[in-house]
Amino acid sequence: MSKKTSLEMEVKDLDLWYDTKQALKKVNMPVYKNKITAIIGPSGCGKSTLLRCMNRMNDIIDKCRIEGEILFDDKNVYRKNYDVVELRKRVGMVFQKPNPFPKSIYENIAYAPRIHGIKKKKSLDGIVQQCLKDAFIWEEVHDRMESSAMGLSGGQQQRLCIARALSIEPDIILMDEPCSALDPIATAKIEDLMRVLVKDYTVVIVTHNMQQAARVSDYTAYMYLGELIEFGETEQIFENPQEELTEKYITGRFG
Amino acid sequence: MVEEFHNELEKLKKQVVRMGNLAQDMLKKSVKALKEKDTDLAKEILNCKNEIANMDEKIEQDALKLLTLFQPMAKDMREMATVLKMITYLARIGRYGKDIANITLELAHKPHVKELVSIPYMAKEVDSMINDALTAFENEDVESIDGFTAREKNVDELRYSIFRECLTYMMEDSKTIKRCARYIMVARYLERCGDHAVKMAEKVFYMVTGDHIDLDPPGPTPDCEL
Repeated sequence: MSKKTSLEMEVKDLDLWYDTKQALKKVNMPVYKNKITAIIGPSGCGKSTLLRCMNRMNDIIDKCRIEGEILFDDKNVYRKNYDVVELRKRVGMVFQKPNPFPKSIYENIAYAPRIHGIKKKKSLDGIVQQCLKDAFIWEEVHDRMESSAMGLSGGQQQRLCIARALSIEPDIILMDEPCSALDPIATAKIEDLMRVLVKDYTVVIVTHNMQQAARVSDYTAYMYLGELIEFGETEQIFENPQEELTEKYITGRFG
Repeated sequence: MVEEFHNELEKLKKQVVRMGNLAQDMLKKSVKALKEKDTDLAKEILNCKNEIANMDEKIEQDALKLLTLFQPMAKDMREMATVLKMITYLARIGRYGKDIANITLELAHKPHVKELVSIPYMAKEVDSMINDALTAFENEDVESIDGFTAREKNVDELRYSIFRECLTYMMEDSKTIKRCARYIMVARYLERCGDHAVKMAEKVFYMVTGDHIDLDPPGPTPDCEL
């Protein structure tokens, strides 16, 4: 893991309030390019909130106030007039519960490229096929592209959602508990997929499953009560955490 | 569940300490038996052979079960790793005790070349190192393993001095060769036990701090010229 790493995104002194409740406190965290960063911590510690800040998903929440910066391409994504649509195009997201559109498998993938201006059937076909292949689901669905995506299993739906996120060629893929609704076999497939995707993309994942964070991530951030307690290489965090709070959480001596 | 794991881990560590005490006992008594030509004591040690092997196996099985069921992390993981290494070293120390007991029986029918002084002294040094490594493990405190590098070097020196002393006897009188060759082996066994104590101390240091340490860095070997 000592391979050369460069910054893809950087969170700087980020504070966030939901109304009067402060959910993030002066968070500083790097997101390295072509690496998987896992964010762990107990429920309510702010990990999903932090993840959602990275593509400004919190904008839609009332009374949510943010201070600090998130630098992406050296630009603060929270500065005035920042193109949020462009940001969300470049920072894709996969959610806890698979949420395919209630449309055909084909349409799920073609939808975003089409609204981004790709009209030719041949180009769309190419994108759909490539994304489904990249998300390791092509073999399972290629003969039923016009069937509803809702008929797929949970694990297939989640991989379809990942394929959908890939369809607009983002730089970063955010994953919020992507496997918590899946069985171990589907989970293993998603984890394998993450390790493949990271060659071309940067991945940030929020997970409650510490073994999963240890298995798949390159870097791990431990959060507690809105603060980033410790950030480091995953091996170091799980073998020899420097902060007592991290140690207690990881070994279950918590609370 | 987590509490259950931590209780089991505590039990496991207590078993390791018990195994350590047995290994220590076997080694200590074996040298006493050798010095005093006490064949009953030597036989008693041989009887412990199975007991320590069983402990080794039982602790290993229990540890593997805990690893499988609980997948410990951080300090818990380091404690498990240390337990698994410690039992190997302790089993070896116990076996050296058994080997020295066998030598005691082999030499029983003949008097010592002279009164044994250096070997019991060396054994005492090694025993205190094993003791301190076990204490550090039990108390999760690395203070007692301070100075292990120098103590290990000292044990090496003692081995070479016994070696040189024996060579002198052997050259003077060939009838002593059989016995002196055994003394040299005993010194070698004790030196190995010292090495095991150092390895245990290194593992305990890792367990407590998370950092790796080399307590036996390569240095000049003691002069064994005649």
